[in-house]
Amino acid sequence: MGVGVIEASENTTEMSHKDLLFHATRRALDDAGLERKDIGGAITATFDFLEGRSLSNQYTLDSIGGVMKPCDLRLGEDGLYSLFAGYMEVMVDPSQVTVVASVQKASERDPAGLGYQKLIAATMEPIYSRPVCSSVPDLGSLEAVLAAMDARAYMERSGVTEAQVARVAATNLHNAEHGGKKSAPGIEDILSSDVLSWPIRRLAVARESDGACTLILASEKRARRLKQEPVFVKGVGWCSGNSHLPSREQGTAKETKWAARAAYDMAGIRRPEQEIDLAEVSDWYAHRQLMHCEALGLCGPNDVGASVDLGIFERSGRLPVNPSGGLLGRGNAIGTSGLIRVAQVVRQIRRQANGYQIPGAEVGLAHSWGGIPTVTAGVAILSKW
Amino acid sequence: MAGRVALVGVGMQKFDFRKTDTVEEMVFDVARNALENARLHKEDIDSVVFGSAVDAFCGINNSDKSAIDASTGLWKPTMRNSTSGSTAVSTPILGYSHVASGLHDLVMVICFEKMSENTGAQAVFNTVYDEAFVRPLGLNVPIQCSLEARAYLHRYGVTERQMAKVSVKNRGNALSNPYAQLPMKLTVDDVLASPYLSWPVKLLDTSPVTDGARAVILASERVARELTDDPVWIRGVGRGADSVWFMGRKNSDLGRLDYAYLAAKQAYDMAGIRNPVTEIDYAEVYDPFTYKEMQHCEALGLCPEGGAGRMIDDGISHKDGPLPVNASGGLQGEGNPIGAGMSRLCWCYLQIKGEAGACQVPKEVNNAVCNAWGGMYQYNAVMVIGRD
Repeated sequence: MGVGVIEASENTTEMSHKDLLFHATRRALDDAGLERKDIGGAITATFDFLEGRSLSNQYTLDSIGGVMKPCDLRLGEDGLYSLFAGYMEVMVDPSQVTVVASVQKASERDPAGLGYQKLIAATMEPIYSRPVCSSVPDLGSLEAVLAAMDARAYMERSGVTEAQVARVAATNLHNAEHGGKKSAPGIEDILSSDVLSWPIRRLAVARESDGACTLILASEKRARRLKQEPVFVKGVGWCSGNSHLPSREQGTAKETKWAARAAYDMAGIRRPEQEIDLAEVSDWYAHRQLMHCEALGLCGPNDVGASVDLGIFERSGRLPVNPSGGLLGRGNAIGTSGLIRVAQVVRQIRRQANGYQIPGAEVGLAHSWGGIPTVTAGVAILSKW
Repeated sequence: MAGRVALVGVGMQKFDFRKTDTVEEMVFDVARNALENARLHKEDIDSVVFGSAVDAFCGINNSDKSAIDASTGLWKPTMRNSTSGSTAVSTPILGYSHVASGLHDLVMVICFEKMSENTGAQAVFNTVYDEAFVRPLGLNVPIQCSLEARAYLHRYGVTERQMAKVSVKNRGNALSNPYAQLPMKLTVDDVLASPYLSWPVKLLDTSPVTDGARAVILASERVARELTDDPVWIRGVGRGADSVWFMGRKNSDLGRLDYAYLAAKQAYDMAGIRNPVTEIDYAEVYDPFTYKEMQHCEALGLCPEGGAGRMIDDGISHKDGPLPVNASGGLQGEGNPIGAGMSRLCWCYLQIKGEAGACQVPKEVNNAVCNAWGGMYQYNAVMVIGRD
């Protein structure tokens, strides 16, 4: 019903995470034509270790207008999960207007340093997996090493080539420019960028960024009384798998597949490649976008490489994926990007995507992946009706 | 429209410093106990809801994710909730939403906390504060709570001796609880003689740091009727949260918990309960500190506002009293693994089912209420459960 986003393109250095959320929420309320008094519930989702503070989302409550309101949840999950929790709250109490929000202030954490690599090691189960990770000679490449195992296994299985992965990255980087000046790196630039851990290349990995996103949810009856044309959540699904390093299934995106199955069942979608008009999926690493497209059923299991070659997932293609530029193009606010994907799909369905509008977009899919090393994914289907 | 939700099983485990257990092992233990209690198999579970307050206690980022296999949640939807102490009841409320919204039929709710892995829980608790304004003051839980306790004692004329009686009652009750970490036979004078941590909070007014987990299984009405002839329903849920800035609350008085009254009102309205004193048979009240049990009894309407001192003086909340509170020993006697304070809900269920063993109160229990308090000392979650 209402959408408010702050992304990396804005100057966020002078704002705290509370400021970011406050401004995102203010925009969402303005968008929906509501005021703070209308809010009935407030849900946020962030991760403690990423934020550098325990119970990281407690201090968000005042920023999103949740003080002395009947529903309040703080999830330790990806931002997209706050949409799922909010959806359930609205189903339980249809009179309620629920604010769901997520924030990430990566710039306080030295994105280029070792912080995130240490965090990956800290996420590992401490007895078997963590010592292996800590023994990676240069901890700085831990993330890339883990991603590379995944990428190699996937490319081996599907036959996707490095050039095809690079084309995905080039497409998303180009999409983020909204047809302005042509300065985005091309396929050649990506293929010649640094190898972090073969086949993972620097320009095919999304950069960390700050971000905040607030969405406002309400039941159909409540939403019909508001100024904005509502966008409906037709299906939701989420799934977690085994994150232990020794028993990981490399090169598959089973968690995405199961999450999508639940969401499609709910939305009554049988043939996703035909019924979905656009998708915003996690492209944390360029090869993951392809894995996710396959797991989401946006192309056949053996057609991934061919689909890339035919440009099916490009903005002018049959099923545009990440027309906004995705994480590669817009920056990866870890934990918040999932909710921002929803906001992008809503913009498309409302015809508000200036410069990257997909004509006739009516049913969209937003996907989020938990990133290495956790194995979690969430899928939401949004529709004009 | 919201569907009805029943509790169909609980998984218990002894609270202790479980130094030789990993998070997974603790979770596995309670998940299996809950499945056995409900006579279900892990394949029956549709989704898992985790509750754990602070990852930094066990030093694992997203600690719930490392316990996915152990929880019955492998390749299923799992969601983790984290609202500090109130995780204990806000997590089953999130589980309630899973079922009541119609999304899932059988939901496993697991709360765990592993606090023994670090050298000082209070040092960890300092990291929950706002880094610019509050953290540098060196606040931690006893200091913050002593501010609150002082305001409460002042506002309602409650005495430290009355606080001590709560400690004696709860630790004494824990003597009959097989899962309890710190049962003690005490006198009021023992409590009053224990050292001050931060005036007026004394050592024996607090609850012990511990490791532990709890699980409950929630079912939709259709499934619950198949599983049991005597379902225990979730009749009411309520949540309330005030401003996280304790200097920014509307009533400017730490002594009165407006948010707890709000949460209790929601839960009772939903359950159709007008007069909790007569309609509630049993209560498990969140008691990390003795004065918190008293504040919460008032907020839950188990005694008049300001009447918690008389309640304990008159023995109303004793195990054999007219309205027993924390016959299991509460957090004081059983141990306080932050998120796993969901034990309060488990004991309400066991009392209603008559399965509380030596902790069973000598009266019929049809309706029970439990609550949990946490967030940034400003969040209360309340759940009312009972028979039809």
